[in-house]
Amino acid sequence: MKYSILFALLLFFGVSLQAQTQTGSMLIKNGTVHTVTNGTLENTDILVVDGKIQEIGSNLRAPRGAEEIDATGMHVMPGIIDAHSHIAIDAVNEATNPVTAEVWVGDALDPLDVSIYRALAGGVTASHSMHGSANAIGGECETIKHRYGTYNPNDLRMVGAPRTIKFALGENPMRVHGEGRGIQPATRMGVEQVIRRAFAEAKMYLEAKQKYETARQNGDNTVMPPTYNKRMETLSAILEGDIIIHCHSYRADEIYMLMQVCKDFGVEKLCFQHTNEGFKVAPELAEFGAGASVFADWWAYKFEVYYSTAYNAAILTENGVTTSINSDSGELIRHLYHEAAKTQRYGGLTDEQALALITINPAKQLGIDDRVGSLEEGKDADIAIFNADPLSIYAIPMKTIVDGVVYFDREEDPADMRLDVNPEEVMPAFFQDIQDHKHENCMQDTYMTFEELFRG
Amino acid sequence: MVLAFLAMGLSLQAQSMEDALKPVTRTYAFTNATIIPQPGQQVTGATIVVKDGLIQAMGTNVSVPANAKVVDADSMFIYAGFIDGLSNAGVPRPEREQNGPSRGRRPDGVNPGDPPRELAGVTPEKQVRGELKHDEKSVEDLRELGFTAAHVVPRGRMLPGKGSIILLAGESGEDMLLAEGVSQFVQFSSAPGVFPATVIGVMAKFTELYKQAEQMQMHMEAYAKNPKGMDRPERNEALEALVPVVNGELPVFFMAPDVKSIYRVMRMQDDLGFDVVMTGVKEAWHVVDELDGKNIPVIVSLELPDPPKEKKKKEGEEEAMDEEMKMLQQRASERMTEFESQAATLAKAGIAFGFSTMEASAKDIRENLRRMIKNGLTEEQALASLTTNPANMLGLSNSMGTLEEGKMGNLVVTDGNYFEEGSNVRFVMADGHLFEYEAKKAAAKGDPNASAKIGGSWAYSVNVPGQTAEGTLKLTQEDGEITGEISNSQSPETTDIEDAVLEGNKLTFLAPIAMGGQSITLEFSIVINGDEMEGTVSVGEFGTFDVEGYREGTPE
Repeated sequence: MKYSILFALLLFFGVSLQAQTQTGSMLIKNGTVHTVTNGTLENTDILVVDGKIQEIGSNLRAPRGAEEIDATGMHVMPGIIDAHSHIAIDAVNEATNPVTAEVWVGDALDPLDVSIYRALAGGVTASHSMHGSANAIGGECETIKHRYGTYNPNDLRMVGAPRTIKFALGENPMRVHGEGRGIQPATRMGVEQVIRRAFAEAKMYLEAKQKYETARQNGDNTVMPPTYNKRMETLSAILEGDIIIHCHSYRADEIYMLMQVCKDFGVEKLCFQHTNEGFKVAPELAEFGAGASVFADWWAYKFEVYYSTAYNAAILTENGVTTSINSDSGELIRHLYHEAAKTQRYGGLTDEQALALITINPAKQLGIDDRVGSLEEGKDADIAIFNADPLSIYAIPMKTIVDGVVYFDREEDPADMRLDVNPEEVMPAFFQDIQDHKHENCMQDTYMTFEELFRG
Repeated sequence: MVLAFLAMGLSLQAQSMEDALKPVTRTYAFTNATIIPQPGQQVTGATIVVKDGLIQAMGTNVSVPANAKVVDADSMFIYAGFIDGLSNAGVPRPEREQNGPSRGRRPDGVNPGDPPRELAGVTPEKQVRGELKHDEKSVEDLRELGFTAAHVVPRGRMLPGKGSIILLAGESGEDMLLAEGVSQFVQFSSAPGVFPATVIGVMAKFTELYKQAEQMQMHMEAYAKNPKGMDRPERNEALEALVPVVNGELPVFFMAPDVKSIYRVMRMQDDLGFDVVMTGVKEAWHVVDELDGKNIPVIVSLELPDPPKEKKKKEGEEEAMDEEMKMLQQRASERMTEFESQAATLAKAGIAFGFSTMEASAKDIRENLRRMIKNGLTEEQALASLTTNPANMLGLSNSMGTLEEGKMGNLVVTDGNYFEEGSNVRFVMADGHLFEYEAKKAAAKGDPNASAKIGGSWAYSVNVPGQTAEGTLKLTQEDGEITGEISNSQSPETTDIEDAVLEGNKLTFLAPIAMGGQSITLEFSIVINGDEMEGTVSVGEFGTFDVEGYREGTPE
């Protein structure tokens, strides 16, 4: 009764209820279950009810009508989470200003991007769709679940996931704005100043808003609020602790620099992306509580990325830094389990540590570890099933499940999974598509010629 | 646009205002016609009298005034003039500045992070009034299709300006104007190399402007109540223009062709709360329930994807198609059906929509309507979407949309059912001005079993309204290969023909001509009987014209 009144009220006030995303129920029987947070359980069942993990144990019964998946001989792990990608968005860089905190890639989600399905085929159930690295402060990002098959961009959103924003240090913002346009930042020092100034302006904006609020509370109706500024709104939300910074970075000195800037402005939620020289400042990162999301072994694609090591993830992990391994690529995203396994060769991480790099740790960095990233009762049923140990080079993803719904099944993998078919073009532009997801597309949409990019 | 005709020794002269029948009288009577006063109704043997731009009388028992110009409309159909739900008709394209920046590059000396608002595309205050041209080809093209009124918006980027209602006839741009400031037009169009350069920039900018307009409105109200001790509201033309939008007094016609744009607009509308008309939609079949549930008015694009070109198989060549190719073709064709049945899907859901000619090529519009009808849209629904629905959506139903006494003299007269292939628009009356059109010859069909010797030199002539172009076509036929060249009497230059195919006695070929850096392909389709030829030539978006000719000389 109470609920129906509430519901009627919501309707009456025209509150649009969030579109219900599809959830499912199922029983995954008799698998080797890598919980990540609670060890590996042999011959174990997972009961999923309405998109949530209800029970993990043995001899569980499927609810009536629910699918039963026989996982005998299979390995069951939490759905893989990619903390850095640019799939499923129609715009990456608003490269027109060193600070564009007002834009949000979540405005332009692309549910028709077939890369989502390719990621599912690699066991990846959630990813962090990020703004690019052209600007010192880029735009807000979006944490999505890979609910492929919908035409509604809103269905991809992981509703309730914290807000995140892209920052970028070093050569990319220097090149676009310094070299490209002759303005700040032309140097690494300039990048720091751009960020400091943005924070300082946001502080003034917050103060002006507070002044307005106070005046209103005191009955003074002559004071008007500061002119609404979307950039300042976002930046002040960072200062207020509502947004996690994810910062594109390579060099240790810059990584250290941004931690100092954040300390000065009381910003605590910080995760570094790429972080190739993170191993040099691992204790400092751990002390700050900053995360590091790295490549397993990808470097030397520009000058600032030469000093790198495949031991980076292991060193960071052993120093107590919350570390993840990401893709930044529509190709790498399909085999992040390989990337995680490399840390066993380079650094000797345990199975659990290695799997954490692509599950619970990225979940922590995105602030969604209470819902995903491990197989625990009460968490979302985002699950990847492999035919062998996922850290084995022979492992093949068999089924990928989001919210208890099977979105990828190797046994039923149609040849053509495109959602967006061009009726005028029988032969799809596969090659163009591959081009679209080549490496370094975090510089996509920047207005530069090759000469400008490589000048000097 | 004259280029193609220059090549054929012609200048472009479709029927313009100057060619309209000079009004000896402003009273007209169409007699003995089949009149469709509104969708679903039909009166045969009826007469309609238009006097001084208004419908004076209509019915089977109407006496024709003595001073009326009488048009014998026996066996003709008369519909209410069509209303274009949104387009740029009559608004010329801006000429690219000399030595200006090329596409996608920002002009020098502009801070890309903070460009002038005109460059950013933020001109919500703009109206079409100053730019309207009564003799724009777009006006003539639409009129020839039966459109007599249009909701037109300025050209531009994200916020091009406000919509006006124009009549598609008049002595001047201003003369066509019926109402100004009837809508706010918005689209996801980014700016070249300056903010907002991406769709996320556009969406952020729109939200910011909207909230600033709300603030301005609040400030202005408070200041009007009691300005004592208060800063005066800042004057800002762009924000002031948006105040009626935030007050819910002006609907936002938001361009949303694809399904992602439709969802984006719906989410912005949820967040901000403006009145929206989903405009230019092409992929709305995915969102029928949402549109219906939110009661969002819809304007459907009259553009459809191009149908696949029939690949001409050479004799004896059996095309081996593998399974994968078959599957790809199947998917493309299923997708095409979805596009073609969008209108029917919306209509079945009970959504009354209008049509927009924006982005649609005039020469495709009637064929596209037929494709929609073939895929389930009824003729009645199609007519409603061209007349009564847009009239209702734009608040014009007291003056147009149906044929009724006292309404505007906007009508279209055809020599057959408008929605059937082969019928011609013969008269259009817009705001009481009469325009007459020739019937187009049905494309010569040809006889696949006939044979024709086509070699030789042919004299041809092409009929474009008001003018005739002449020239020579030389054809050679050797071992089944057809080659040739075409020239016109105005120029010594010749053009080699391409892709010539002879089926029975029907010859088709292309003649690509390059003029002033632009290339246009003339598509000929000709039937040859002995030494005579007859057929048509299609000139891109400019239309299809009749061709005839005879053989001057035979090959040695």
